[in-house]
Order: sequence, then C-alpha cells, then structure tokens
Amino acid sequence: MGIAPENIRIHRKASSWEEAIRVAAKPLIVANSITPAYVTSMIESVRRLGPYIVLMPGFALAHAQPDVRSVRKNDISLAVFDYPVEFHSNKGPVYVVMCLACTDHTSHINRLQGVAEVLLDRERIVDDMRACRDSKELSSLLRR
Amino acid sequence: MKVPIIQTVCGFGCGTSLMLRMSIEEVAKKHGVEIRAFCGDVGSCCANECDVIFISKELAERIEGRAKVPVITVNNFMNKKEVEEKVIAYFDSLSK
Repeated sequence: MGIAPENIRIHRKASSWEEAIRVAAKPLIVANSITPAYVTSMIESVRRLGPYIVLMPGFALAHAQPDVRSVRKNDISLAVFDYPVEFHSNKGPVYVVMCLACTDHTSHINRLQGVAEVLLDRERIVDDMRACRDSKELSSLLRR
Repeated sequence: MKVPIIQTVCGFGCGTSLMLRMSIEEVAKKHGVEIRAFCGDVGSCCANECDVIFISKELAERIEGRAKVPVITVNNFMNKKEVEEKVIAYFDSLSK
C-alpha cells in the first residue's frame, strides 16, 4: 500500500511545471503503468482547467481522465523538487508533485485513500516529505 | 433530517475530489452527522443527483449558473480547518 520506493524520486529539478509533471511521472513510464500519452493528458488538464491540482501549499496532485488506453495499471508516483516550481496557483509554488494514474474512477480508491489519510493528518506534511533523506524513508512516511 | 448527499467535484472525479470527499467524511464523522458523499467531475457533476456540491475555487466558475443545488467552494482541500468550517456551516443551514 502507499507509494513504492521505486516510484519516488527526491532532489529533482524542473524549470517549469510541465517539466515537473514529466519528471514526477517518469517512474510510472519506467514501471510501464502509463504511456507517454497519459503524461501529455496530465499536462493538458492543467492547461485546460488551471492549477487546481495544487491542493495545498507546496503540493500538487497531477492526474488526468482515467483511460485504459493510456493507463495500463493503477499506480502512484511522487517527486520532490529542490527548488520551488511555479504552477501559477494562488496557493504558491510547489515542491512535491504526486502523479496518479487510474484505469477507472473507482479502482484506485484504497491506495489513494491511505496516502490521503497521511496527507490530511500531518500539519507539516510537505516539510516532512522534503526532509526525507531517501525514497524508502519517504515511502514509509506515506504509509499507514 | 434527511441524509444529505454531498458531491465533491474536481477535474476528473478520481483524484482531488476523492481527497475532498475524505476530508468531508472525516468532519461529518467527527460531528456525528450522517452523510452520503460521492465524487464527480466538473463536466458531468451538474447532472448528478445530490443536495450540495463542494468544489475547488478554481473550478467553481465553470459550473456557475449550471448547478441546480447550492455550490460551496473550498480553497484548500487539504486544510482541515477550512473544510470543517464550510461543512459545519452547511450542516447548520440544513437545520434552519
């Protein structure tokens, strides 16, 4: 449950929010959970709907329409950036981007729920995530 | 009091609206109020049966004028305090 350490990358850099999404999504491509088309969709979603994916200061949840053509299996990845990435949100810049890939609307709920519980529960969760020294530590942090 | 049906809305009905739904369910549980909550996406939410829509501030203008139920905007989905305030305010409005 939670996010596998292999899907977590820390100390990343991105010069734009588009690049940040691409970087955060990379583990999902490597794991063959998504196709490049899904990455494009995630970026397009923000272009179309605006930066609503910045859920709280410092944290964005990138995702797109569940689609079995571009999503092979439900999966989650996460990237922590050394420098703030501007998403043009009124909540400020982003340090942590989580990518969510779903094959349909309901199938992913348990996994996401566990992660969400941790995100909702800790006051300084973004600071805590940024302070993790490696992906194993971050993976444990997000586990219930 | 009838059990309120709350629809949480985001772009695609699976990520951010789920987070919001969970925040709301937690508040309801904490205050002992029974609710039924589900997730919708910004495209189809106005057609879904519910008593109220909770949506992010950024997306709210997209459904302006189209929703048949009250729309409550949340600026920060993960901010328990804000969600709690807005949910309590909604519950209070029901008992008037």
